[in-house]
Amino acid sequence: MLLVPCPNCGPRNSTDLRYGGESHARPDPNTASPQEWRAYLYLRDNPAGWLRENWYCASGCRRWFSIERNTATNEFRDPPLPGDKRGGAA
Amino acid sequence: MAETASPGSSTPTGPAFESPVVRSSPSSNVGDLALTDASATTKWLVRASNDGPTADLLGARFGTSQVAAGGALVLGSRPGEWIILGAPAEVAATVADLDAHDGRDFVSALDWTHSRAMFRVTGAEATRMLEKVCGIDWSDHMTPDGAVVSASVALVTCDLARNDVNHDDTAGTPSYLIFCDRSFGQYLFDALVDAGDEFGLSVLASGVS
Repeated sequence: MLLVPCPNCGPRNSTDLRYGGESHARPDPNTASPQEWRAYLYLRDNPAGWLRENWYCASGCRRWFSIERNTATNEFRDPPLPGDKRGGAA
Repeated sequence: MAETASPGSSTPTGPAFESPVVRSSPSSNVGDLALTDASATTKWLVRASNDGPTADLLGARFGTSQVAAGGALVLGSRPGEWIILGAPAEVAATVADLDAHDGRDFVSALDWTHSRAMFRVTGAEATRMLEKVCGIDWSDHMTPDGAVVSASVALVTCDLARNDVNHDDTAGTPSYLIFCDRSFGQYLFDALVDAGDEFGLSVLASGVS
């Protein structure tokens, strides 16, 4: 079982959440080239190690948040704190 | 908090209530563990900013509950979201307080009575019964009386509130309110009956807690 530390609800079974994929910055629509959009939409780093991901707490607080997970060991680190723009409700 | 509405009752402005649970046979023997279909209880959903004046007025922070001045039970169900439940007059009083509140907060309040099923599970074994269908830690130090959580119950997204029943001055009997979308009501009711079977669960008549 994968325990995901939701910033609002605490540790929850991953079945209570929805995986939102890698977290990376959206390109500027005014300046991004087609190649940059393609990379943003379809290309993933997929490392064996630490990766920042988006998760949606579907059965709990219904908030998106961003957190780092080690894809090799399933450890989590750097969860957002309350009031954090990355998903911790104040 | 009193759940006084019966299946035939109605909200102050709405039509007569029909429970989503149509297959419910009250048990002839009432044991220690009891399940009640309390769907007829008046329920309102309030959304506002998490740290604004409405939050201060309602009082219950995320994950907690408290009884409002008018007698309704206010549950802090999610960040910036509250559920108000009780008898129609109690809930109306709390919603009227929101109307009268002079603030700059954007607030929405919605009568949820007909769109949500609600069940009450009461008894010393209620915690063990819930552990069969829900991954939350129901121990007293994690979810004491008054705690509110949202979680999957038998794979249905639910809001749950611990609302112990106190008789005299003795310690309260564990009691949980479980809300889900109306369309899942019958399924969840049947799942709870199955889960409680090994503990001698009794099904009480609707609206009696």
